[in-house]
Amino acid sequence: MNWVGLWTLTSREVGRFFAVYRQTVIPGLSSSILYILIFGFTLERRISTIDGIPYTIFIIPGLIMMNTLTNATSNSASSMLQMKLLGQLPDLLQAPLSSLEISLAYIIGGTVRGTVNGILILIVGILIGDMPINQPAATLGFIILVSWAFSSIGLLLGQMADTWDRLSTMQNFFLTPLSFLGGIFYSIKMLPDWAQAASFYNPIYYMINGMRFTILGVSDSSPITSLIIAILMTIGFSVAAIMLMENGKKIKQ
Amino acid sequence: MTPAISIRNLKKSYEDTVALKGIDMTIGDGEFFGLLGPNGAGKTTTINILTGLVRKNEGNTEIFGKDTVKDYRFTRSQVGISAQEFTQDWFFPLDKLLYFQAGYYGIPKAKAKDRVDELLSRLGLEEKRESRLRQLSGGMKRRFQIAKALVHDPRILILDEPTAGVDVELRHELWQYFRELHQAGKTILLTTHYIEEAEMLCENVTIIDKGRVITEGSPKALTNQLGKAGITINVTDTEADIESCLKDFTYTREDGRLHFTTQDPEEAMPEIINVLTRQGCHIQRVETTKSSLEDVFLSLTGKGINE
Repeated sequence: MNWVGLWTLTSREVGRFFAVYRQTVIPGLSSSILYILIFGFTLERRISTIDGIPYTIFIIPGLIMMNTLTNATSNSASSMLQMKLLGQLPDLLQAPLSSLEISLAYIIGGTVRGTVNGILILIVGILIGDMPINQPAATLGFIILVSWAFSSIGLLLGQMADTWDRLSTMQNFFLTPLSFLGGIFYSIKMLPDWAQAASFYNPIYYMINGMRFTILGVSDSSPITSLIIAILMTIGFSVAAIMLMENGKKIKQ
Repeated sequence: MTPAISIRNLKKSYEDTVALKGIDMTIGDGEFFGLLGPNGAGKTTTINILTGLVRKNEGNTEIFGKDTVKDYRFTRSQVGISAQEFTQDWFFPLDKLLYFQAGYYGIPKAKAKDRVDELLSRLGLEEKRESRLRQLSGGMKRRFQIAKALVHDPRILILDEPTAGVDVELRHELWQYFRELHQAGKTILLTTHYIEEAEMLCENVTIIDKGRVITEGSPKALTNQLGKAGITINVTDTEADIESCLKDFTYTREDGRLHFTTQDPEEAMPEIINVLTRQGCHIQRVETTKSSLEDVFLSLTGKGINE
């Protein structure tokens, strides 16, 4: 194992998004604050509580998850595509780094960004909404787990994409709608039966409810199911991303 | 002695193109070697296979006796590549990019510091160490590419068009630097469109075209063997019967101007002068023109190196 190489590429990945924090940290933070202020405080007049939780606080775990997974995905995806388009990828592929080391560095970079963004919304929730945290260690662990899973998805997307247009299409038409339909702003018990049944096929539904359980102690799905799906996604997408890197089909000729 | 680079029967096809049709090449340890060929000949594909950027279809590629696929950690650590295309980066200053590059090769920042400082200074980039790549001129970017290739102190340096787009002064400075690196023991593999660059710097060259090796050898041996030198002699007495006595030589005649084509002008010249003098010709002027590697290249590939 080339530990120095792995550490170097990981610190580059982390340094890259911190260098442009106005693009990578601030937008998620400000949009989440707006969601809390606009959706939370205005809708709370109509939906005072869900499962006994004030509406404003109810939506915060979903916002944490949305911010976590979109940031984790876009970090590894955009960094990989950027390296391809800027001609930086040969520097990695010609160095004594294995596909595993390169993949891990990208995934860890995305995981750190997802985690940082998730924790910031968590802090916002505590400061603005006076939100209690039921299981702090589980909350942090779940944020990291989901960040890792979606960072792996990002690495897959980044390897497959050839243009920014294609990458943003994949993100805008899958990730964002699935996040909104995963129950950030509502409990699926408020939906008609067919929509409830459809939600069970949305993996992000389990991520949001897993997070809601660790913070608020309430959840539409079983917390064990959420955890198992998060673990399976983490393992499955990590293996897929590493195998695609090893195979080299999308990055080597 | 184990060669620095050994390539045997290397074949590579892309979807609809056969790029390499069985390349063989051996580069000795410490050699300054030129890989020449017109555009699309297969030079970059060969280098990219050697360095792990492109997957081969068939054949063997070894660096210091180790397979470049199976023992990639060893082989890649022995090679530094200065690519033709400039790397771009929006985020980090030059020195940090060099530390990253060293890190990929397993060298931590603390150990790389002296090397980074030395390279920035030697390549005239010291004042730009805090700058971003986009702030550099073309010549500076080229120097940075070379610094990046050398930061892990590789035994083999691959220079892909290292003087493309640089001014004459910098080109001469870089040539001097390449000579120093060679004298310090580095093996250098050079591809270039400036054929005189290869002629001047390389001990041996291989010329490839359409995915095949056409010829190989030292530039001097190739020009002697395949090139044609010329001798031009101006004579005053054009009435003399010189045609019959010059029948053993290849020449053209334009009034009093005789142009001889020969592989060895030093041997042919006294003989020709002797024959002409015997025929009573008064020799006014003698000129010799030497064949270059470019002529050899042109005669073998049927086109110039930039075509």
